[in-house]
Amino acid sequence: MSTNTVASRMERARNGVGVSGGGSINPRKKKRISPRTWTLVAFAAPSLFLLVLLNLYPVIYAGIQSVRDGDLINPGNFVGLQNYTDVLTSRSFWNATRFTLIFTIVGVFGSWMVGLGLALLLRTKVPGGGFFKVLLLLPWVVPVVVSATSWNWLVATPQSPLPMLAQSLGMGNVLFLADPVLAQVTVCIFKVWVSFPFMMMMMSSALASVDINVYEAAKMDGATNWQAFTGITMPLISRSTYISWILMTIFCVNDFPTIFLLTGGGPVDATTSLVVLAYRTVFQNFQTGPGVAIAFIMTLVLVIVSVVLYRQIRKVNVE
Amino acid sequence: MASQSNGAAFTRRGFIGVAGGVAAAGLLAACAPSGGGGGGGGGGDGEIKFWNMPWGSPAFNELDEQITLDYEPEEGLGDASYQVIQWANFTQTFASAIASNTGPAVSSGGGTQAFQFEAQDKIAYADDLLESWKGTGLYDDFLPGLIDTLKVEGGYAAVPYNLDMRVIWYNEELMEQAGATPPTDWPSYLEACEALKAINVYGYGTGAGAGAFTGTHALVSWMINNGGGLFNENQEPDCVTPANIEAMEFVLEMVAKGYVDPASATYTSANVESQWEARTFGMGYNGGGLANNIGGEVGPVLRVNSPLVAPSGDKGALFFPNSIMMYTNTPNQASSEAFLTYYYENMAPLWTEGTGIGLPPLKSITETPEFQADANNVKIIEEWQPIARTWAAPGGDALFFGVTTVDGTPAMDTFTQSILGGSTDATAALTRLQTAIEDALA
Repeated sequence: MSTNTVASRMERARNGVGVSGGGSINPRKKKRISPRTWTLVAFAAPSLFLLVLLNLYPVIYAGIQSVRDGDLINPGNFVGLQNYTDVLTSRSFWNATRFTLIFTIVGVFGSWMVGLGLALLLRTKVPGGGFFKVLLLLPWVVPVVVSATSWNWLVATPQSPLPMLAQSLGMGNVLFLADPVLAQVTVCIFKVWVSFPFMMMMMSSALASVDINVYEAAKMDGATNWQAFTGITMPLISRSTYISWILMTIFCVNDFPTIFLLTGGGPVDATTSLVVLAYRTVFQNFQTGPGVAIAFIMTLVLVIVSVVLYRQIRKVNVE
Repeated sequence: MASQSNGAAFTRRGFIGVAGGVAAAGLLAACAPSGGGGGGGGGGDGEIKFWNMPWGSPAFNELDEQITLDYEPEEGLGDASYQVIQWANFTQTFASAIASNTGPAVSSGGGTQAFQFEAQDKIAYADDLLESWKGTGLYDDFLPGLIDTLKVEGGYAAVPYNLDMRVIWYNEELMEQAGATPPTDWPSYLEACEALKAINVYGYGTGAGAGAFTGTHALVSWMINNGGGLFNENQEPDCVTPANIEAMEFVLEMVAKGYVDPASATYTSANVESQWEARTFGMGYNGGGLANNIGGEVGPVLRVNSPLVAPSGDKGALFFPNSIMMYTNTPNQASSEAFLTYYYENMAPLWTEGTGIGLPPLKSITETPEFQADANNVKIIEEWQPIARTWAAPGGDALFFGVTTVDGTPAMDTFTQSILGGSTDATAALTRLQTAIEDALA
């Protein structure tokens, strides 16, 4: 009996076998693993083993710590979800969540807007364009310890350059780090400054992939620059944009040094983000369980946000 | 084709074999007990691992290492090795090493580190060591009351190593320029601040930003100065007391009158020092080494003030008896004790050669000509050390595990920043602090 009927080809397709492919379509028949597959598995095994050892083991261990009342050395007793309950009912957690949200939204969209703007500007051929590109990458390349120290020098004391400038402009003694609201603003601006080069690179590569002929066609159809930007550029770079948003969201939520080095989370907890709170809970209050619980909650939220944005990317691809 | 096939097969098998070998070796290495003999604390062949912190300039650790490596143990006792542990993330460094039994046998560390690890049964008590020092005169060489600050219920958790004092400093030139005299009590402190303000200088120079704990220490110093403090005689937090409220109201008064730099709440230690250097700070609490740290033109005109008489009539201040501790993870406790005896008998050059370490714990070192040459240090030892109290004040002087909830903790940072920001009242701030400490201890 021939197997090359339309029905059988459909069946093959449903079973993942090419319509032109031969071979059995009986799903009950045990599939033999080829030597090639074994070889590939053998090649991957050491890496997988190390991955499990280095990534999964700490996560499992941390998960265990989050349901115990131990400290940095002793595992302590099992307390169920008590640590999670304590964390979710504490005011400091929600204050930190609020600031993390502000910090992330400003960090992601602020750096994206600056990065995209500069990427568009850098498409224009100007003398020394390469030099400017390197210069603009510096905030991303320079270690954040150095950047934070420089920013502290710029804003911390009344004799620092920016407070002096503000004073000379008649704004009085501006407390960039000591005023809770201004400290939040300063930290967010610092984050945008540190992060925009990454966005600039992502957007530059996305813009480079857009066919210039599309713009020329649009121009011939009478489209304005703004219409070309919103109707052509944005849709065509949307995939890269969503990916960069996902990455920057992860960077912002997990960003410890930017905040800790500049303000230490102060004044009066105004700039304490979730990751800073987790650090302080574990390493300054020595409360491992609640600290790890905060980290797990953060991870869960990050996964949800990433999945939502990733689905958006798939939607864009389908469209 | 045949050769290619053979080659490919050989490569695969070879690769898998090597990879498997490496993985197995790694696994075996990870599972193998660390160190020799009694675990990681021993190092090789019963060696004592001594971990010390950068207590001064780079010259400190160079000299300290030399002293350590010059140790020649008696027959049957272990040698000593030396490791500098940086302050950055030192808590994690010690905790992870001790948890995995790869930590030191002897170390210095954070001010409350011994109590933290004592509570986890990782500390070898120093009772026998101190007892042995009674016969050699070393025990009596410690400054009065110092050893007992490290006594906990189970025994002596550590041995005093260097003293980190919080004292009032003033810039002599600025005080003269302002026509102010060194204060003797709280009202005269306010008068000096008023005079300094007239020449645009802050009379209460402090900082409580990222990693700067001096601001907190200064607030607790005011409390202790007034007969208050954070813990009662039962070692329970007792923050909302009349003495503490009066002290914090005094600081809030200074904030309100503009004697405190409004940006102080977020000043790092470097910012604070830069303000002293810029002659913006004319007076304030700081560590005993401020003048040496500032150096330049300003360092030589900085003077240690005498302790103030508080409204209560008391004269207390806060200090930290930094210590050296021994761990249960040692190849041999006798080796740990023999090394520490050698170290304390030979550590004087760390102070006499000006390496920048805090004040010495031994009277014999404070009596050396080199130490006596620094008038500020002499004043601190003569006037401040006798009246200084620990975190345990006013209930006692012996430190305990509970003080880890106030030493560099977020609760204390928040408290200090709220006071220096002037955005609270004393009772409310102290009540919040009380609650935070109670929660941390629960």
